[in-house]
Amino acid sequence: MRPFIQFESVSKAFGSVTVVNALDLAIEKGEFVSLLGPSGSGKTTILMMLAGFERPTQGAIYLDGKRIDHLPPYRRQMGVVFQNYALFPHMTVAENVAFPLEMQRVPRAEIARRVERALDMVKLKPLKDRRPSQLSGGQQQRIALTRALVFEPSVILMDEPLGALDKQLREHMQLEIRELHKRLGLTIVFVTHDQSEALTMSDRIAVFNAGRIEQIDNPQVIYDTPRTRFVAEFIGETNLIEAKIASVDNQVARLSLGAGLSARAHAAGGLSAGQTASFSLRPERIRLGMAPEGSNALDMTITDCIYHGDHMRVQLARDDFSLVARCERLAGHWTVGAPVVASFDPRDCTVLAQ
Amino acid sequence: MKSGVLRDRSGALLLVLPVIVFLAVFFLWPLWTMVTAAFVDDAVSKVLPRTASSIVSWDGQGVPSQATRKALVQDLSAASEEQALGEAVRRLNSAASGFRTLLGRTIPAVKAAPDPAQVDLAAVDPRWNDTRFWVALKEAMPPYTDRNILAALDLKRDASGIIVAEAADVSAHRLIMLRTLMVAAMVTVACAVIGFPYAMLAASLTGWKRSVLLLAVVLPLWTSLLVRTAAWFILLQNEGLINRALQAIGLIDSPLPLIFNRLGVVIAMTHVLLPFMVLPIYSVILGIPRNLMSAAQSMGAGPIRAFWRVLLPLSLPGLLSGSLLVFMVAIGYYITPALLGGANDQMISSVIAFYATGTANWGLAGALGLILLVVTTVLYAIYGRFSTSQQVPGA
Amino acid sequence: MFRALQATFGIAVVVFLLMPIFAILPLAFTSSVFLNYPIPAYSMRWMHELTTAEVWRTSILNSLIIGSGATVLATVLGTLASLGMRRGALPMAGLLRTMFLLPMVVPAVVLGVGMQIFLVRLGLASTYLGVIIAHAVLCIPFVIVSVSAALQGIDPTIERAASSLGARPVTVFRRVTLPLAIPGVVSGAIFAFATSLDEVVLTLFVAGPNQRTLARQMFSSIRENISPTVAAAALLLIVGTLCLGGLGALLRWRQGRKTAAAAA
Ligand SMILES: Nc1ncnc2c1ncn2[C@@H]1O[C@H](COP(=O)(O)OP(=O)(O)OP(=O)(O)O)[C@@H](O)[C@H]1O
Ligand SMILES: [Mg+2]
Repeated sequence: MRPFIQFESVSKAFGSVTVVNALDLAIEKGEFVSLLGPSGSGKTTILMMLAGFERPTQGAIYLDGKRIDHLPPYRRQMGVVFQNYALFPHMTVAENVAFPLEMQRVPRAEIARRVERALDMVKLKPLKDRRPSQLSGGQQQRIALTRALVFEPSVILMDEPLGALDKQLREHMQLEIRELHKRLGLTIVFVTHDQSEALTMSDRIAVFNAGRIEQIDNPQVIYDTPRTRFVAEFIGETNLIEAKIASVDNQVARLSLGAGLSARAHAAGGLSAGQTASFSLRPERIRLGMAPEGSNALDMTITDCIYHGDHMRVQLARDDFSLVARCERLAGHWTVGAPVVASFDPRDCTVLAQ
Repeated sequence: MKSGVLRDRSGALLLVLPVIVFLAVFFLWPLWTMVTAAFVDDAVSKVLPRTASSIVSWDGQGVPSQATRKALVQDLSAASEEQALGEAVRRLNSAASGFRTLLGRTIPAVKAAPDPAQVDLAAVDPRWNDTRFWVALKEAMPPYTDRNILAALDLKRDASGIIVAEAADVSAHRLIMLRTLMVAAMVTVACAVIGFPYAMLAASLTGWKRSVLLLAVVLPLWTSLLVRTAAWFILLQNEGLINRALQAIGLIDSPLPLIFNRLGVVIAMTHVLLPFMVLPIYSVILGIPRNLMSAAQSMGAGPIRAFWRVLLPLSLPGLLSGSLLVFMVAIGYYITPALLGGANDQMISSVIAFYATGTANWGLAGALGLILLVVTTVLYAIYGRFSTSQQVPGA
Repeated sequence: MFRALQATFGIAVVVFLLMPIFAILPLAFTSSVFLNYPIPAYSMRWMHELTTAEVWRTSILNSLIIGSGATVLATVLGTLASLGMRRGALPMAGLLRTMFLLPMVVPAVVLGVGMQIFLVRLGLASTYLGVIIAHAVLCIPFVIVSVSAALQGIDPTIERAASSLGARPVTVFRRVTLPLAIPGVVSGAIFAFATSLDEVVLTLFVAGPNQRTLARQMFSSIRENISPTVAAAALLLIVGTLCLGGLGALLRWRQGRKTAAAAA
């Protein structure tokens, strides 16, 4: 049994430039998967191959067990929401929403009913006779979404649909899309380069770099245990620690951090004594002050303290080894130059693949 | 994927093909026809093929051999196509006057003779003993000629085939080309002198004032060229509005000669072509950030220095492409000089039209047309390099 | 001082540009036989002459016939070509474009000479078809420029959207591309008609006495025996072109308003 959507070693090259490289990706029915990555990493290209606007140079794409990569876009039954909405400027809102139903030769009366209902759902019925140019950005966005949903496609594809909206509206729309996803049980593939958007909305996130998936997991795993240096740095902020492994014992590695410091970390396996490895440690996982039982405790000095409104960033150093910690403002008062004990749980220090 | 590209490409080709064929047949081919008309000279050899091959061996002294004369008689009796024969006669008559009457007498005699082989040309008309006609006949035989293009440049080949200048009084093509360039240059300068400050003024204004200035440029563009030329006719004639106004305020006693001379042509052409100067300059000036001038002034440059050092250099591309455009259109102008100019203001287009429609001298018309075509194409290529806008008028 | 100079200059040039057009119009209603001021009395005499005299009436009719023919021919061919050149699928697109625009540049007399020789050979000289073809050659560039601009204004993602919503290529073209390109096609056709209406030089070369157009008739009338009928014809032409121009501007304005949304 194949997954609902499957990319099977799909590659795409424009001329001599390979943009997507031997991609394997599986998406289950009803899932909300975000494709996250820096600009030019191939996200749009993947989406366009799924929608049928680009053909893979190699490999196969399956939908619901059927191979679709040779099908033209109009036979794929996917609702696509484009970044610039791509509403038909010469049609009214209602005509825009009716368009996909007309294409499916739905009877006239039913079209009217379904358009009505769909517009009702996004609370835009009063605007149905307006032209897209007479709508605000958020309203256009919602019409584009409605138009992609109304013909009940098997998959909804969105390419940075919220990129052009201001922050407040974007957050509102994020909630609305999540709501629709839950309520209608939609399968959604969502392209974004906004990490917080991906973290809040998705069931799973695929992090892309240069046409390859670096990691695909649920948001919490992605954030807490990034597998590669790229993921650790791309999502959130992190302390990258290069350390020599002194010993490995029962899934616990002893690291020598330099400057005479040492710490324990959770070793996922494959690590052996004597080698050097990179680790990621999130700033908010570092505690300052007393060290709880079983955690690493490092004696360091505060070199800087930066006020961020709801939290403080504290720079710590000992000789050439340095860390950044993120502290609640109530957690204490820090003076620059003062010695302090920084502590963290060994499980929060995750090893990264090279 | 490859097949997709191919399908797109053949689909696109299918859409473009009708225009390609249409323009190839009805645009490029006619131009080519005109060019070949300048070089092809087969009117005579087509009608008199036997004579053509026989006369080659004649040395140009006296009268050609019996065989050649026989061949001519044979050709003439065989010539049946009225039109082709007429063209051949015209061609020969233009080379040696009198040929028309000579053939006019010879052809019926040959056709009427019971046995053409027995016809003696000299008996039909004694002029057949004149070497002059035979020389003209021989020289008309080669199917290609550079005679027209040389004539277009006021050159010719002398008896020994060396290129020499045409006698000064015979032809005046160089003079007309020079005049064409002069008139075009005058119009271009006039357009630049008026158009540049006008465009700058329009760009510096806002609101209705700018709209009025732009409308004044666009409105004539939308008005028929003939209407504008007729209008200048009304304004410039001796009893026209301008002369009357000047007389009324006592500036002049007798009407100024404004029409059927160079001045009238330049005024009217400046009016017609001014929009093509103003619009490119205007769009370039609009593209210059406004604060550049203020910036220059804030650095201590006075308004005049700021203009010379900042605005002028930046708007120069507009001036250049406008000037090229005006000049290019002006050198091919026909209607305005034809209607408002005198005999001494006719430009190269008028001369081409005269040769083509007046005397049916296609060869010379083609040669002059070729020269004008080449000059225009070169100017267009230069213009294409300097200007990004696609705006080109039809003249 | 400088300002006054500016104002004087501006007004002078505006007068220079507009005066001729406005000077000729009242003469359409003069009662005099001279195309000249002052106007002794107003009369419809020359308008009447324009619409009843055989030469003028047939020339107006000819202009309409030839203008319509050339417009249809040029619009169809030019629109097809613009569609074909649109996606950049063609090799040597730049060269093709240059060739398509060349008829605007080649001096009319040069083209006229070639066209006359050529059409005589084809047996099309002094026929309506010949004149229509000759005019269409001149009109095609205007159609291509106008339609290409309209097509360029269409956001390709809009067509992708239609396709993803289940529209086949033909449907995408019919329901999306064409409606958005129509204003460009119409204004191209208007340009084409105006160009044909104003064409004299080619007509001089390829038309026979039976295909005399209004512009051609005005040309010979100015040249041979100028009379106020020319002013009446001018009025007709100005009103005609202004109507066409106004229609074109209206369409462009509406199109601009529509597509502004797609870019938002
Ligand atoms: N039609 C094309 N022809 C050639 N190269 C292309 C084409 N489309 C995309 N590319 C290249 O492929 C790479 C990936 O493009 P893609 O649009 O998929 O990136 P993206 O991840 O969506 O980036 P962004 O976040 O900026 O939208 C880019 O380097 C781009 O230049
Ligand atoms: Mg993208």
